[in-house]
Amino acid sequence: MNLLLILPIAIPLTAATIGLLFRKSPMVQRASGVIGMAALLVSVIYLSWQTYTDGIQVIQLGDWAAPFGITLVMDLLSAAMLIITAIMGLVVSIYSLYDIDRVKEQYHYYPLLHILLIGINGSFLTGDLFNLYVWFEVMLISSFILLALGNRKTQLQGAVKYVIINLVSSLVFLFGVAMVYGMTGTLNMADLAVKIAEVENTGLVTAVSMIFIVSFGIKAAIFPLFFWLPASYHTPPVAVSAIFGGLLTKVGVYALIRVFTLIFTHDIGYTHTILLWVSGFTMVCGVLGAAAQMEFRKVLSFHIVSQIGYMIMGLAFNTKLGIMGAIFYIIHNILAKSNLFLISGIAQRLTGTFELKQLGGLYRQYPWLAVLFLISAFALAGFPPLSGFWAKLSLVKAGLQIEQYVITGVAILVGLLTLFSMVKIWAYAFWMPMEEENKSEQFGKMKLMGAGGLNLLVTPVIILAAIIIIVGLFAEPFLSFCMLAAEQLLNPEIYIESVLGES
Amino acid sequence: METLLAIIGGALFAAGIYMVLRRNLIKAVIGIILISNAVNVLFFNLGRLTKANPPLIWEGNTLPVSPFANPLPQALVLTAIVIGFGLLAFALVLAYRSYKELGTVDLDDMKMDPVEVSAEMRAEEEQVNQ
Amino acid sequence: MLIALLSIFIVGLIAPGLYSVLREKTGWVLAILPFSVFIYFLTLFPAIADGEVITQSTDWVPLFDVTLSFYLDGLSMLFALLVTGIGTFIVLYGSGYLAGHEYIGRFFCTILLFMGSMLGVVLADNLITLFVFWELTSFTSYLLIGFSHDSAESRNSALQALLVTGIGGLALLAGLILMGYTAGTFEMSEILNSGDVLRESPLYLGILILILAGAFTKSAQFPFHFWLPGAMAAPTPVSAYLHSATMVKAGVYLLARVHPAMGDTDLWFYLVTGFGAATLLISAWLALCYTDMKQILAYTTVMVLATLTMLIGMGFPLAHQAAAVYILGHALYKASLFMVAGAIDHEAGTRDIAKLGGLRSLMPISAVAAALAALSMAGIAPFFGFIGKELLYEAALEAPMWSTLLISIAVLGNIAVVAAAGIVAIKPFYGPKVETPKHAHEAPLSMWIGPITLASLGVVFGSLPFLIDSSLIVPTASAIYGETLDFYLSLWHGINLPLILSVVTLLGGIAVYKIWTGLQSSTPAGLYSTTFHDGPKGGYQFLVDGMLSTAGWQTRVLQNGMLRYYVLTIVVTMAVAIGYTFMSRAGFAWNNELGSVELYEWTLFATIIASALIAVMVRSRLAIIVALGVIGFGLALIYLMYGAPDLAMTQVLVETLTVILVALVLVHMPPLKKSEAAGSKFRDAVIALTLGGIFTAMTLTAMTLPFDLFISEQFAEWSYPAAHGRNIVNVILVDFRALDTMGEVVVVAVAGLAVYALVKMNKKQSKNGGAES
Repeated sequence: MNLLLILPIAIPLTAATIGLLFRKSPMVQRASGVIGMAALLVSVIYLSWQTYTDGIQVIQLGDWAAPFGITLVMDLLSAAMLIITAIMGLVVSIYSLYDIDRVKEQYHYYPLLHILLIGINGSFLTGDLFNLYVWFEVMLISSFILLALGNRKTQLQGAVKYVIINLVSSLVFLFGVAMVYGMTGTLNMADLAVKIAEVENTGLVTAVSMIFIVSFGIKAAIFPLFFWLPASYHTPPVAVSAIFGGLLTKVGVYALIRVFTLIFTHDIGYTHTILLWVSGFTMVCGVLGAAAQMEFRKVLSFHIVSQIGYMIMGLAFNTKLGIMGAIFYIIHNILAKSNLFLISGIAQRLTGTFELKQLGGLYRQYPWLAVLFLISAFALAGFPPLSGFWAKLSLVKAGLQIEQYVITGVAILVGLLTLFSMVKIWAYAFWMPMEEENKSEQFGKMKLMGAGGLNLLVTPVIILAAIIIIVGLFAEPFLSFCMLAAEQLLNPEIYIESVLGES
Repeated sequence: METLLAIIGGALFAAGIYMVLRRNLIKAVIGIILISNAVNVLFFNLGRLTKANPPLIWEGNTLPVSPFANPLPQALVLTAIVIGFGLLAFALVLAYRSYKELGTVDLDDMKMDPVEVSAEMRAEEEQVNQ
Repeated sequence: MLIALLSIFIVGLIAPGLYSVLREKTGWVLAILPFSVFIYFLTLFPAIADGEVITQSTDWVPLFDVTLSFYLDGLSMLFALLVTGIGTFIVLYGSGYLAGHEYIGRFFCTILLFMGSMLGVVLADNLITLFVFWELTSFTSYLLIGFSHDSAESRNSALQALLVTGIGGLALLAGLILMGYTAGTFEMSEILNSGDVLRESPLYLGILILILAGAFTKSAQFPFHFWLPGAMAAPTPVSAYLHSATMVKAGVYLLARVHPAMGDTDLWFYLVTGFGAATLLISAWLALCYTDMKQILAYTTVMVLATLTMLIGMGFPLAHQAAAVYILGHALYKASLFMVAGAIDHEAGTRDIAKLGGLRSLMPISAVAAALAALSMAGIAPFFGFIGKELLYEAALEAPMWSTLLISIAVLGNIAVVAAAGIVAIKPFYGPKVETPKHAHEAPLSMWIGPITLASLGVVFGSLPFLIDSSLIVPTASAIYGETLDFYLSLWHGINLPLILSVVTLLGGIAVYKIWTGLQSSTPAGLYSTTFHDGPKGGYQFLVDGMLSTAGWQTRVLQNGMLRYYVLTIVVTMAVAIGYTFMSRAGFAWNNELGSVELYEWTLFATIIASALIAVMVRSRLAIIVALGVIGFGLALIYLMYGAPDLAMTQVLVETLTVILVALVLVHMPPLKKSEAAGSKFRDAVIALTLGGIFTAMTLTAMTLPFDLFISEQFAEWSYPAAHGRNIVNVILVDFRALDTMGEVVVVAVAGLAVYALVKMNKKQSKNGGAES
């Protein structure tokens, strides 16, 4: 029993409440926004440390023993996800200080950001399937409004697609929860893991697991359910794009990992083979989609899809190395992808556009921005010695280890195409000279750092780039952490015992 | 009756999906309402039906009068209904706003070139700067 | 060795900063670094010459068996000396060549990073570490080829080089991992002893192909050779260093390195020697199709890489001796020639042979350097190149298989090389003076010291081979072969077949040189270059274009911007995935209890279904609203009938609000129009009904399972005594599952904020005109 486990939900809730109470004061809004994130980061680091040293942390809310009340559980996977979420929250809130205008602030941007994090953190922590649905909805409603905040035409168009498809997905998920409850009479995930194994009609369990693949798959943007993502992620303010692109889909991936290592493990030959096929198509479709795009954020959006494929592939391997690779890939990808979104925003500030064909000259004019981009982009493409290399290496090793040559080959080729897209952005936005006619007023005059510079935008990018390099150069502790997390996942008894007790 | 309820659920679901597949944004939102109802009723049904007493404990007792209806799915569906309403209200207003801004409810027309994102952001900045 | 490497990387990173302090002296200061590393390796020289192997190891990522381990034997030593030695001159040369260039600081940075990476490749013992450095060389090479990034050609060449070496690199990664798994270790030094395990493994073919893919792309072997001439878009110091002396030899290095473990099979011979021989023949003559000095040099570089590949493929001691000699000889003369070409370009403003002539008097030192280097390249005694060529001929003659073919290819290739050597060293400097774009004069010291030194070494080593044979060439050849060899080098082997062939080569080369001007512009030459240069390049372009058009097509089809097709795809996926799984694995089952259904229940059922139909079919907004209301209240009735009064109340309340909201919104919306074809309606109806049917069937099937009410019973038991509530549903909401309710409240609250923002935001913005910001 660890009462502090409520903190990752309570802190953003408090911050959001303060923000809402002082809605007239931008200063309080901003302060509660950023300080709240910092406090959240501190708390999750502390909790993760506890989880790392003392094993899985559990709280039975209201002191109602599992499976009767709602249980919050923090294993190493949750810990990793929570830390990365808090880091993202912090850097994006700093970025927002500049990126988000007063009007959006008045419409509760910071509280909404915190509420989004409530939903995300709740999803990572909860040990109850219905409660997971609730957190998904919290996340969803706040993401809806963050996406549409500003009411620009393109935003609304993107939001319409995002909203409709995600609502369908949520409802299908709810039906899945209903089916699970109808088959087992319980909702606690640890209890479910035990009870679902006792269901006689295993075929029905497999069919229900398909419901979860589809509904989580829509959130995770896997093939062929990803369309909403590239249709919407390039439309909102950059800070929002960054946190969406980095985090939201990964909640879906997290949920898939959770249920397909804990609950639906009875027919791995079927379910995980489907996941493997799906992962291959997801990788290929996403990366090809990106190759066809000529807008900075759209290229990145399609790459989100492609890289989700890698994570699903790791899960589908269902080996220690595979799952470890998937987890590490998630962490790395959130860092690199969000950072690229943030950089796209800086590029837009400097040049006034996201269109690759109109961008240019950034390498000559802003070499440090170029360095930051190179770090993130080549990390994403899996170049050593950056974080992405270890992610790629783990998955390739995992695939070769169990002789899955075809899918590993696909993953490798997709890596090359990822490189292709990253280099495309580089060639257009950085190397190609800036055409006079496209030159915006501020190009060349605006400074990146220093007085009158884009300090608030650049600092978060530097922080993330530094993390990418550190994770790349000193990979061992991060990889071991993910390895331990994978071990926990592959031994669900540990999780079950922690939640239900020894009996 | 559980069979009939399952059919009602399936039928509402099908009706909802059919509506979501239409070109009109309003119809799509109505489709969501129908699907929401469908899933609630299926959830209720899956908690097993009993034409029994409500799960209430009368004055003086410590247990409800048996047989009593399963309270858990009731509570869950109640939560789902309220959450569903919140989301739905948003979707409806989004549809309204989209119509006001875009001048259409035809979903097939809602595919803007990504070029316009940059253009809009630039225009917005200029507006703010003025 | 780790410190040497790290120091290069660190200095590389701070080089732009140094430049802003030291300005034009930067080159001389920075050159101290590779030179000291060069000296460091020289201090280890005696040990290596004695046949020792030096290893060092530091942990990096033990979880993946990745160590920063280094392995210094003859082969690594040879390469390390080349990398640092030539590197020293390149840094100097670069400071002269790019003097005043806006990016000179960035140039120093990248070139030093490359130097560190390349040194890493040749020193690494751990397979993964080797790969890390390997990829870093590709990356730095990309940046350097695109150095003049304003030109589209530079950018494209850089991309081409990156993609070609990139795909090879990825193949290599897979190959190395498989190799590590098969051998049970990721340390090269241990793998070298487990060759038998590898050769007998069923994965041998796969590993070999993957590793060869890495090596051949990096070392520009046919059909990947086209990227190297493209890479000539880089500034000349880069071409001289990366694309001639060092990086492109990484592939050859790798082949040499793994030969003891992977070689010695027929497959190895056919693949490695075969590709090498083919590339040799093709590239040697391609060199003669161009007039750009750098293009000519690029293709002769490919030819040498091919020769090396062929020699390593042959797999017997003599061939490996030849390879060792070739590596050194080529690095010396080719780097000089490149630097001279760069000097000419820099001073005269062009490097097109057709526009050059008579520079000898204006650039005397360069002319001497070019002459010395070209003589070595042409394989004329007493230059070092001569020893290499003699050994090549001897090896080809002694090849276990196909020796006639191999020797013919070798001779034919070398004839072209002799001619090419003449073209680059004689044409620009001799003959009548030609007016050049810039008024030419001798290049500065920093730019001629390198070529003259390196070219002179060619004659020194050639005349006095004992200086390096037992100390450097023997350990290198031994490392390639895998066993200690014992031999010495000499210029004079008596009059034998190789010598006669050398004479033939020389005469042939001179003849070709004489007719070159006509030959170069002839139709056959054009055809030849079209076939062998443009062909593979076109293949690459075809693949890239094909990928792009597939991508475009896929995006148009899948990401078509129309929501209903997105939903349709999702729904069909659901129907197929869930439905198929359900039907094939579970099968439908139900508790047949329709008999007990009362009439009013049937009525309710019929009403709801009918309302659903109405909601779907009509276009009247009012009718839809009414239908929605009927459905909602009908469901509320059902909840009420089955013991759920709270639920029924909520349903009534929410449904009322929903209907009001829908009505409010619909009033502001245009009327619903008939807009869709009957066909798509029918299709959607079928799909929707299928999915609805599947969900019904699944629900019914699930309800045949036994159901355990233990949680609800426990709630009933605890509700009053422990939670002090009489309404169990309420107790669940506010106590047992209070967290759900909290989430629910948050959702509703945010929905409120959201509606507020959606409705009001723009008005407010326009009213204030953003004045607040």
